[in-house]
Amino acid sequence: MELVAVFVSAVLVQNFVLYYFLGICPFLGVSKKIDSAVSMGLAVTFVMTITAVVSWLINNLILIPNDLAFLQIVSFILVIASLVQLVEMFIRKVSPPLYQALGIYLPLITTNCAIMGLALIAALNEYGFAETVVFGFGSGIGFTLAIVLMAGIREQLDLADVPEPLKGAGIALIVAGIMALAFNGFIGMLT
Amino acid sequence: MSLSARMIIVLTLVGLISGGFLAGVATLTKEKIALNVQAEIEDAIREVVDKAKINTVLYEEKNLVIYRESGDGGDLVGFAVQATGVGFQDKITLMFGLDSALKEITGLTIIDQKETPGLGAKIEDREAFLQFWENRDASGLLTLRKPPTSKIDELLQTEINTITAATISSKKVLDIVNLSLERVRELIEQGKMNTEEKDGNEKH
Amino acid sequence: MATKSIKAEYLKGLWDENPVFRQLLGMCPTLAVTGTVITGIAMGLATSFVLILSSLVVASIKKLIPSQVRIASYIVIIASFVTIADQVLKAYFYPLSEALGPYVPLIVVNCIILGRQEAFSSKNTAGRSFIDALGMSTGFILALLLLGSIREILGAGTFLGYQVMGSWFKPWIIMILPAGAFMTLGILLGIALLIESKTKRR
Repeated sequence: MELVAVFVSAVLVQNFVLYYFLGICPFLGVSKKIDSAVSMGLAVTFVMTITAVVSWLINNLILIPNDLAFLQIVSFILVIASLVQLVEMFIRKVSPPLYQALGIYLPLITTNCAIMGLALIAALNEYGFAETVVFGFGSGIGFTLAIVLMAGIREQLDLADVPEPLKGAGIALIVAGIMALAFNGFIGMLT
Repeated sequence: MSLSARMIIVLTLVGLISGGFLAGVATLTKEKIALNVQAEIEDAIREVVDKAKINTVLYEEKNLVIYRESGDGGDLVGFAVQATGVGFQDKITLMFGLDSALKEITGLTIIDQKETPGLGAKIEDREAFLQFWENRDASGLLTLRKPPTSKIDELLQTEINTITAATISSKKVLDIVNLSLERVRELIEQGKMNTEEKDGNEKH
Repeated sequence: MATKSIKAEYLKGLWDENPVFRQLLGMCPTLAVTGTVITGIAMGLATSFVLILSSLVVASIKKLIPSQVRIASYIVIIASFVTIADQVLKAYFYPLSEALGPYVPLIVVNCIILGRQEAFSSKNTAGRSFIDALGMSTGFILALLLLGSIREILGAGTFLGYQVMGSWFKPWIIMILPAGAFMTLGILLGIALLIESKTKRR
């Protein structure tokens, strides 16, 4: 089933963080504790899925039929910025403690390359509507997976003896490298 | 002027000016970009079909395009098939040439691939892989020679040398070609492909 | 707050406030396109184009934009320049454009660019913003060059496509893979911090 392949590919084989290098800023910034990692991951997945839908609609119903493909970049980023605003307002109303927990990370989702990357890659690969939605959801899950795994490892690393210059981003990137190697094992899974 | 009005005016202006600029740039570059895309295809065709001067699209569907290749006079010199399929890592897009009788593969080249660098990516390499795709028998299924032989004459006309340590990527390319050939045969049977000469000069 | 000299304004982007190594911004493209030196340089130049022009525009019209819509305006301005860069690359440098893939449009979310508008161009003159952007761009290109060189030389034995390692060298394929990118950047960050702490102690 092609949709299943798209989903599995997005989560494991071509994981957004470990293969496409998207979402590194939040990946390094919010992966210190498992809870905040999970919250960030879910918020990103939510925004990604909706972005997938809206960007597909705009691209295929407005831009391409009118030969306006060159407006993709501008339209997508504006859509994402607005969506993030809306999500922020929504979370603020519905769950103030969650809003507090996510803090400044919410607006940061706008410049999260992962979301823009999602819209662009789906458009580049000319995915259909269903494929785009699955791709969006899958990439969000893949991002969440990577960030939660990283948080789990970092919580342990906090107790370990890391050399001073490598503390923080340095060791996080090296761990990401090892994770990327591990995920390499998923290549060919869909064969 | 109220703040809201000012906000709206500023945003609209910024939008319009940017939009205008972009439309200008887009118009300037549109043709060149289309030419670039076309040039890539034409270069690939020239690599796999000797003497191809004029290309016409015979048939097109998702992931498959068949071109009729002719010389300067419009006489048939062969066909080129552009196919996209699943590779090991991601999609592979390739172009292979067929002779005018649709009996032999005249060559193969890779247009786009994202296989493992240094391993699967060798499918783009002439010495390691592409050279074995000339004069192959296209009437049936093609197979891979595993392990590859260093004596090219030992290869059967239906065999291609596999790339050591990149057998999966090699097989993916093979599968794409085999599937495309099958589809070409189907199309001929269904009469959807015009394989005739324009002026009756058969060239083999 | 003392105003920096023009020279200092430029140089800070190279080391003290290097966008990649010190500010930890713009890491997505840094990791993604440094498999070869040429793609790294191309990305660096494209990003510089967007950063410098955006900073100039933002600094010039900052007084006209109400604060509430500034981020939206910056985004539109940045996105426009990114689109121009993308179109020009596709038209005149097609193979490079193919190699860079979706990462050129992704310049629009490169935190460095929006960050500089917020932190600097919106509060400084066009002249200063230009120098600041120039410095940040140079710092970014240097970072890409460093990472790209390491990855290409060790991962393929070449530099800008030319063989530099003898045939005795078996390339470390991992350098071209994502894993190698992550680890190299991590180690480089560590080295940068180490140098920083050692120079502070003097």
